[in-house]
Amino acid sequence: MVTEDINNKEYDVIIIGGGATGAGTARDCALRGLKVLLVERNDYSTGATGRNHGLMHSGARYAVTDGESASECISENMILRRIARHCVEETDGLFITLPEDDLQYQRTFVDACERAGIRADIIDPDEARAIEPAVNPALIGAVRVPDAAIDPFRLTVANLLDARLHGADTLNYHEVEGMVINQGRVEGVKLFNKLNGSHVEVRGHVVVNAAGIWGQRIAQLAGVNISMFPARGALLIFGHRVNNMVINRCRKPANADILVPDDTVCVIGTTSDRIPIETVDDMRVTREEVDVLLKEGVKIAPSLATTRIIRAYAGVRPLVASDDDPSGRSISRGIVCLDHAQRDGLEGFITITGGKMMTYRLMGEIATNAVCAKLGNTAPCVTASQPLPGSEEGAPSQDDLTKRYSFGQRAAIGRHGSLAARIEKDNDIDNALVCECEGVTVGEIKYAVHQLHVHNLVNLRRRTRVGMGTCQGKLCSCRAASLMGEFRHDVKGAQEDLAAFLDERWKGVRPVAWGDTLREAQLTSTIYEGLCGLDMAVNMQGKEDVQ
Amino acid sequence: MRMDTVIMGGGLSGLACGIALAKRGKRVAIVASGQSTLLFNGGSMEMLGYVDGKAVTSPLEAIATLPQSHPYSKIGAERIAALSERVKLLFNDSGVNMTGTANANHWRITPMGVAKPAWLTLNDHLRIDDLNNLPAKRLALMCIRGYFDQPNSMMAMGLRNLGFEVKVIEFTTDDISALRRSPSEMRATNLAKRLVSHSALQRIADQINSLAGDADMVLLPSVFGQSDDSDFQSLQSKVNKPLRLIATLPPAVAGMRIQTQLRHYFRMLGGTYLMGDSAVSGTIEGDQLTSITTAKMNDMPLRADNFVLATGSFVSRGLRADYERIYEPVLDLDVDADADREQWTRFGVLEPQAYMRYGVATDEQFRCRKQGKTINNLYAIGSVLSGHDAVKMGDGTGVSLLTALAVNDLIIAKK
Repeated sequence: MVTEDINNKEYDVIIIGGGATGAGTARDCALRGLKVLLVERNDYSTGATGRNHGLMHSGARYAVTDGESASECISENMILRRIARHCVEETDGLFITLPEDDLQYQRTFVDACERAGIRADIIDPDEARAIEPAVNPALIGAVRVPDAAIDPFRLTVANLLDARLHGADTLNYHEVEGMVINQGRVEGVKLFNKLNGSHVEVRGHVVVNAAGIWGQRIAQLAGVNISMFPARGALLIFGHRVNNMVINRCRKPANADILVPDDTVCVIGTTSDRIPIETVDDMRVTREEVDVLLKEGVKIAPSLATTRIIRAYAGVRPLVASDDDPSGRSISRGIVCLDHAQRDGLEGFITITGGKMMTYRLMGEIATNAVCAKLGNTAPCVTASQPLPGSEEGAPSQDDLTKRYSFGQRAAIGRHGSLAARIEKDNDIDNALVCECEGVTVGEIKYAVHQLHVHNLVNLRRRTRVGMGTCQGKLCSCRAASLMGEFRHDVKGAQEDLAAFLDERWKGVRPVAWGDTLREAQLTSTIYEGLCGLDMAVNMQGKEDVQ
Repeated sequence: MRMDTVIMGGGLSGLACGIALAKRGKRVAIVASGQSTLLFNGGSMEMLGYVDGKAVTSPLEAIATLPQSHPYSKIGAERIAALSERVKLLFNDSGVNMTGTANANHWRITPMGVAKPAWLTLNDHLRIDDLNNLPAKRLALMCIRGYFDQPNSMMAMGLRNLGFEVKVIEFTTDDISALRRSPSEMRATNLAKRLVSHSALQRIADQINSLAGDADMVLLPSVFGQSDDSDFQSLQSKVNKPLRLIATLPPAVAGMRIQTQLRHYFRMLGGTYLMGDSAVSGTIEGDQLTSITTAKMNDMPLRADNFVLATGSFVSRGLRADYERIYEPVLDLDVDADADREQWTRFGVLEPQAYMRYGVATDEQFRCRKQGKTINNLYAIGSVLSGHDAVKMGDGTGVSLLTALAVNDLIIAKK
């Protein structure tokens, strides 16, 4: 396990938030030579970063309604294909017109794409049916755009790793509980270490609030006010990958109009509802949301009606109220960077918010520019050209992969890029598969526990995809828990962790618990409760393990 | 094809009922998909493990306190005592060597080292009659290197919590290492297939004899004997200390062994076991089910005087749920289930879940209903029945076995 000794360090910049934006900002700051600390209250990618489609927008979706966002998207899209290619699957996307939609909109859409610099080719519906057999065959129009799929977990971890390689310290499970403010200047943060219950104060010249929707609370701790518009979106994951291209509806953005292929599964979303800020931590998906997603989803790809749904989840977009925006721009989904010295007279504090996962790098660049301006650092930004770890030149090609590596090794290279070389694979035990659906080996789990800040099974799932495949962790989670109990010398903790992991999975399963999903849920209970007695084990007041 | 009785489902309840009827000279066919929840059975039968979350000491006494909706209440506590003795005979006749009594639960040890109440346990598997009087003091827990379906560290912790001294010993043999080259082959059933020859067992015995030290009992994962306990007996004869097997994660060799032995005995009695097939529909005339069709024999309906539904719960597809309702997929029989989807489940994964108790509705004689009308020659047994909870009450295998024999008696008494 990696821990930082932060007590005696003074940082140039402290970044609050371990989503894509925080990670991208940490990387940029570190590459410009700043001494960086990033803190995250839960695990990395637990906010909106880990709760979206995994769609690498071409920008086409925003072309008609928000030209600026569209231009930002296509520009970042092209950059990510270079710097994060191990996180990207180049699928391309379709914008389809159904009989119930207005075909006139297609022209407006293509023109707007052109203005934003997004390639948008109108293709014949027959061609669309041929290149994407899952698409609703009733379509009357189709446009091909450079959408793609991206793994936000992998992307965030790659940014954090590179930040660390350039001297940054990063801490998960450290919650900001207060700001150190002295004479109108933020000089650091007060942290609560959730892993050991301790409290610590850290000093930094600039503090960046990259906490997404939770940024409003962070700002309150600094005594300034930001009004967020929490916009909640729910999504459904289907049990296998029915489509190979991203499929969008060619109409004004609405509910459930994007279907994205993600590795072995596919995701439909989203709904969009304004919610009160007090409810942003309640991520339970409602019956109404599920009903809307299903009803609209089958219009995009009819086979979804008979495809098993494995999980539902929701995230909250951190949109900022434009009336509070000091620049006066009317921003909806745009990037917002607030220098609280200018805005509120509070030095040393910057908020970066709005935007989307897609533009995390640009947000990092904007925030870092603001930090550097305060610190007098003139180093240029290089994040648009320097590949992330895992995507460097010379990473193995697909051809190399199939010839030289086992299934588990190939899967690991897919997940970690060139960093997979660090995974132990010298003996047959390290190569043994723990998760057969996703090809996760013992060696990869060791690597994740020791190098990727993995404290529990949920962390492990985010870093390695263990338990994310079609079986949803039926046996592999127990195998992984047992191994982690050994690696971390805490068997009792591993059992409690296993129960927590199953509970976390169930949160997503419960809203869609019918058909084979209910069947799998009963199977999981039959194994873990009936056969194994896990429910009894975590209730037992047993003696601590002494191994 | 015309039979006296056709049983839909070839798991524990279907086989038990089929054996009982065949023993009485009835012509019986079992339509079996080939998979059953015995695949998740660690070698024990449970009559009643828990009531209101508390471990049951005497199942026979506790059964009297169950609500009227429980299948046991329909049989009646007194008859269950007699039926439970017949279950033991049935296993004995089939060559399944088990020990236990319905008067007092013993303890089985789960793959995570938890002690759970049980009624009958295979003789070659670890069984503790009294937690205050353990069958051994020092245990050697033999773990197969590279085999991850036995959570060794959890097992060791659980056994220590029970008061055993446990020494964890990792071992392998050439036969096992050969399997390990393909990691997905390190499953209990594959090990059990490979570890059968005299020499393969001798190599394991040699390892045990040299590594077990001063242990007074040796524990091994349950990866021996898919068709009977002769491989275990052979291994025991080569080792100078008492051996016991402990349950693993699925696929469970113990459950497969029980299934294999029951199926073999059913066939020996002249029963017809239609493997790899399942009932898909049936014809109801008046208050009688006259025939069923199966997936494979579409054009050849199976006719019988009596039918038994032993298709299991959701896991076995005996019950289905869609977006709107819970239903029984073969005949769309009446079910006991909540209409509102929100009521099916609860928020915490380890809480009791309402859907576990759902099942087909039956009268006091386990006869099914369709649209409120009783079908006089269609009986339901086992996990497809409503009113019990295999996971939280530890009554799944008991309900399967006891309702199977109860329905056997009802069918026999009919003529």
